[in-house]
Amino acid sequence: MSKQLVITSSPHIRDKETISRIMWWVVISLIPAGISAVWVFGLPALYLIVACVVSAVLTELACQKVMGRPVRIGDGSAVITGLLLAYNVSAGLPLWMAVLGSVFAIAIGKQVFGGLGRNIFNPALVGRAFLMASFPAYMTRFYVWKDGALVSQATPLTVVKMGGVPAVTYKTLFLGNYAGCIGETSVLALLIGALILLWRGYISLHTPLSYIGTVALMTWIFGGKAGWFSGDWLFHILSGGLMLGAWFMATDMVTSPITKKGQVAFGIGCGLITSILRLWGGLPEGVSYSILIMNAFVPYLDNLFRPRRLGERRRWI
Amino acid sequence: MSAKILSLFILNVFTANFILFRFLGMCPFIGVSRQKRPAFFMSLAVIFVMVFSSVITWFLYNYVLLPYHLEYMRTVAFILVIASAVQMIDMVMLKTMPALHRTLGIYLPLITTNCAVLGVTVLNIDMFVNGGRPVPGGFWLAVLQGLFAGLGFMLAMMIMSGIRERLDVVDLPESVKGIPIAFIVASLLSLSFMAFNGL
Amino acid sequence: MRLWQEFYKGLLKENPILVLALGLCPTLAVSTSLKNALGMGLSATFVLISSNVLISLVKSFIPSRVRIPSYIVIIATFVTIVELVMEAYFPALYKQLGIFVPLIVVNCIILGRAEAFASRRGVVESFLDGLGMGIGFTLTLSVIGLVREVLGAGKIWGYPVSLDFVPVLMFALPPGALLVLGLLLILKQVGDRR
Repeated sequence: MSKQLVITSSPHIRDKETISRIMWWVVISLIPAGISAVWVFGLPALYLIVACVVSAVLTELACQKVMGRPVRIGDGSAVITGLLLAYNVSAGLPLWMAVLGSVFAIAIGKQVFGGLGRNIFNPALVGRAFLMASFPAYMTRFYVWKDGALVSQATPLTVVKMGGVPAVTYKTLFLGNYAGCIGETSVLALLIGALILLWRGYISLHTPLSYIGTVALMTWIFGGKAGWFSGDWLFHILSGGLMLGAWFMATDMVTSPITKKGQVAFGIGCGLITSILRLWGGLPEGVSYSILIMNAFVPYLDNLFRPRRLGERRRWI
Repeated sequence: MSAKILSLFILNVFTANFILFRFLGMCPFIGVSRQKRPAFFMSLAVIFVMVFSSVITWFLYNYVLLPYHLEYMRTVAFILVIASAVQMIDMVMLKTMPALHRTLGIYLPLITTNCAVLGVTVLNIDMFVNGGRPVPGGFWLAVLQGLFAGLGFMLAMMIMSGIRERLDVVDLPESVKGIPIAFIVASLLSLSFMAFNGL
Repeated sequence: MRLWQEFYKGLLKENPILVLALGLCPTLAVSTSLKNALGMGLSATFVLISSNVLISLVKSFIPSRVRIPSYIVIIATFVTIVELVMEAYFPALYKQLGIFVPLIVVNCIILGRAEAFASRRGVVESFLDGLGMGIGFTLTLSVIGLVREVLGAGKIWGYPVSLDFVPVLMFALPPGALLVLGLLLILKQVGDRR
């Protein structure tokens, strides 16, 4: 009995694709946004990214050692969590807070459930929600990098929430040279990454398009001051964390629905909650929260849009 | 008035959800949320009892306890009313709706000690009776609060049972299985629902 | 020896919160600080002991069909006493605990002990059972309260731990309560497996 017989369920397909291969491609697709982050927010952004990634990987290692599970830090999933968390915070966040968020994301968001593939919520977003609840003052003060120093500046969405008119052009929003979370500002960089994921076939258009489309529709209908159907929908889909969330976090394989119909429903749900929070909520932005909340409904979406045997009744509970 | 009702709805279902933020009704939330079907019927029963007790305790407090200055009897009186209301609903349901009773029946006795029910009735009095007099429209607000609190309970129950059914087929670490992971999930859920603050 | 056992079991082996998962609502809601936790724990302990003793005294007079309502009335009476005493002598604490003082009535630990223990055992045993369970409840509650107060507010019993400590606010908020209790339960299970 030196060699154990491994029994797995069907389908038995041989493929070169492995979990770690997918994960490292996702890491590559996140690099353009990282470059943009350092370009817009300077060295503090680089420090944040390094701190989050290193602490995420170390936490993963520590958890797997303590729990006596096989060490799998080479699969790159912790690197993704660290990157996404760093992209979701302000450049002025003290490093130790970012590290704490990273530890929380991996330990409570993922390893408590037994590791990759078993978690319910997106770990990076769990980390971000933890930081938002714990250090709200640091998480909602945003900066830009000017002449070698961080200068405090309100995000366009904050300006809108306060009732003002943001002084940014669509081009600025597209290129990303304005205040916000470090990885979310450059739509261009995020779209390059999204194209890589689409080309590799790791994500489909279902979730991102239904998500972004819903936000555009909702903000167009309800977002304007001059009555219905007068909202600046282009501004809303270019600003905030929508692009980062829709392409990279709502498409997370573990925490989003399996079926295409389910993914569309997931995207629409995220879009509705994001729009409601942006237009009527207490915070200027709601992308990360809306994805977290929809994560909780994934078991229902999976069940509802599961392919059924002929004649099987649809049951929601 | 409709704005008031909407804000009462948002308060009870989202921003001050009975389970996730007020911690009322934790025992059934943890105990009966293993599977979706029982969770659903339990929530239905809770909604039913909450609305019913909101009505009765409102009259009891405003027309019996207040005029005779027996406010200090509130706790005793309310819990008695709830216990007998549950008993009565149980009997009426058994006679008139035996099918429903078969599904809800086992949950009804549990509801007597569900602090969410006593909680909502006490909260009604705290919020809608001011200086010994009910606020305008207080009765309807109290009834609606009973309904909305029940809906909030149901929302949390359904999300939780959906997640726990999924976690059942996952090889969770041995020491988190069951109740501990339920608390971790509830914590993350409460963390996400903080988004609705200020709505 | 056997009597000692009745007291001792509530502390850890049958700890009401960690093992029986009872009395969760007040545990989560009032554990924001050590002071609140201790106040709630001691109030519940008082009600637990008094109702246990009284119920074991009168158990033979109560017809079994109406025993649950009778227990509830007995418990509610003691809760009302606690409510009035606390309002008169500890108004600040009463305000802090708020709705959870009247809710001691439906604290399942108390009805649970009445039904499972006091209704079939003698007075002395019931007293010790109530005392043990109450202390077990109070201790667990205080541990959670202490953790949350230190991490969430940077204080112990209202005094700052250190001047440059940045509190991790989440622990003072509802999700923090759920998290600390969840982690405590995991610790307990890990300990049991060892």
